[in-house]
Amino acid sequence: MDMVLRVEGLRKTYGKLEALTGIDFEVRPGEVFALIGPNGAGKTTALRICATLLTVTGGQVTFLGRDLAKEPDFVREKISYLPEEAGAYKNMKGLDYLKFMAAFYGRTAAEEKEYVDRAVGITDLGARLEDKVGTFSKGMTRKILLARALMTKPVLAILDEPTSGLDVLNALEVRSMIRRYVKEGTSVLLSSHNMLEIEFLSDRVSLIDHGRILDTGTPGALKDMHKANNLEEVFRSAVR
Amino acid sequence: MKRFMNLLRKEIRELVTAQLVVSLVFTLALFNFIGRTSRKEVEKAMGTQTIAVLDLDRSASSLGIVTGLESANFKIESMEGRPKEEAIQAAGRGEAKLLLVIPSGFGDSLQGLAPREVETYSFMRSFSLIGARSQVIIRSVISALNDVASDRFLRAKLPDHDPDSLKNPIKTKDFVIVKDRMAEGSANMVAGLVSSQSLLIPVVLMMIVIYSSQMVISAVAMEKQNKTLETLLTVPIRRTSIITAKMLSAGLVGLISAFVYMVGFRSFMGGLGADEVQAASGAGGAGIMRQLGLYFDTTGYIVLGAALFLAILVALAMAMILGVLAEDFRSAQNMIMPLMFMVMVPYFISMFADIATVSLPVKIFILLIPFSHPFLVSQNLYLGNYGMIFGGLAYMLVVFIVLVGFAAKVFSSDKILTMKLRFGKKRGAAA
Repeated sequence: MDMVLRVEGLRKTYGKLEALTGIDFEVRPGEVFALIGPNGAGKTTALRICATLLTVTGGQVTFLGRDLAKEPDFVREKISYLPEEAGAYKNMKGLDYLKFMAAFYGRTAAEEKEYVDRAVGITDLGARLEDKVGTFSKGMTRKILLARALMTKPVLAILDEPTSGLDVLNALEVRSMIRRYVKEGTSVLLSSHNMLEIEFLSDRVSLIDHGRILDTGTPGALKDMHKANNLEEVFRSAVR
Repeated sequence: MKRFMNLLRKEIRELVTAQLVVSLVFTLALFNFIGRTSRKEVEKAMGTQTIAVLDLDRSASSLGIVTGLESANFKIESMEGRPKEEAIQAAGRGEAKLLLVIPSGFGDSLQGLAPREVETYSFMRSFSLIGARSQVIIRSVISALNDVASDRFLRAKLPDHDPDSLKNPIKTKDFVIVKDRMAEGSANMVAGLVSSQSLLIPVVLMMIVIYSSQMVISAVAMEKQNKTLETLLTVPIRRTSIITAKMLSAGLVGLISAFVYMVGFRSFMGGLGADEVQAASGAGGAGIMRQLGLYFDTTGYIVLGAALFLAILVALAMAMILGVLAEDFRSAQNMIMPLMFMVMVPYFISMFADIATVSLPVKIFILLIPFSHPFLVSQNLYLGNYGMIFGGLAYMLVVFIVLVGFAAKVFSSDKILTMKLRFGKKRGAAA
């Protein structure tokens, strides 16, 4: 089976600080793969590298069999990245923002319209999309950003804390939306502090701490391995 | 191309905000208002003004002064029959800005070459320079009368001699040589005309560089502050296209802003009478300037345009790199300072010093600043220093290529996300 993303011996240093010490993981087609770990564990660094934002110090990342470092433009055509602290252009209307982003991906006007229509459906913001993004609440902004990330049905959606800043109901809605897109063929690489969210969404999980992967498996397998009731207990057991 | 145009449109929309339009309209209106007000004041000062005159002599010579003032467009308010103290009080209450007191025996003293003092009392109701004009006119009228009196005396005593030759036995005839051309005129006048011809170049350059750089620095800093940069860097568009779109949009909007500013500035300067002064000096000096070859032909304008264009490109590329260093909009405002200094240093040096005569280290320092070259182009064009001109253009082009290459490298590396300088925040507070 061809992997969507394969990470092998990935190292990343910032000066003397070693953020990733040679990690390996893979994202399979149509699965949600999650990285969980405490602050500073290296989750966001790994995600940023996979999103072509940061360069690698050592090791290799391949996307659909192609070297990410050598062909970043190819990768950018097929992925979408939602950073943890992302924003949208405040002076743009919500709808204009979606149109602006769709224009980078659509090859034809019809394709762009299809993306925008899909995004409008995802946001469920209705007439508020005619307002400037600067007037949106944090939750509304997060929804529009998630819609932007999913509207093109990317091969791989890289989502860093996708429900960050959302209330319980909106978070539930977003999680089911992610699940729906995965069923339609999008693979997801995500990171989150929220273990419940990870347990609900993920097919497989890697526990990461101090730039190294401690364990990888399905949530069920990890719970069995660590004789734990939930992923929080798994994580506590793994870092001991 | 479609993606680039999409990004360019967005960049322009982001820069042309309501605040920018309001600030430009306000600047234009303010300059226009100051210009109009100044023009009115100048017209008022140049128009008929009242001078109070207390003629205690009533001789032909004293009447000559009064006639001279009337012909210089002054309205004379006679204080005849009043004692001096009362005349001062009365003139002060009226609209006259100046009281002229001609003492009795003034005419006879002129005939006998035993000068008597004419007194002037200026009423300072404001401190504008224009308000002091009446005293200057009186001085020139009296100077003319002095000439007439001394000429009359010399003619009476030495009828075979020209009084002017007696008073000024040494005459001068000035010539100016530029390269192999020569014309009659003074070096001061030629230098003044050259400087007035190229006065606008540094101002235009300063305005465009400052506006455009501020736009591009802010454009990058705002992407960071609003957390939109990471998303933008992962969409399928080349990093060089992102840089180009930001530089192009900032250049365009900066150019328009600078143009609006210049229109306002021109209206302001016109109000101060600069147009009239330039026209007057231009009419007299045009012939000399043409004789000396001190004018721009089409090639000259193209070279000057190329120098300005390259300077703007260099400024935009520098601003792009500085924008990467800025963490947010606030620090972006501080980042503009080094660029402003780099433009201001050659500006002031070109105003007060001659690059040809400064010491070698200072000369090297000036020439290393890319923005010095547009300031030097007009002088070098006049003097035919084509080596300096094309060397300067080539240097700016090389600096631009190196800076854009560096900016592209920064944008394609981790530095775009990790490189930052902070201003106004304590390290701990920012962490």
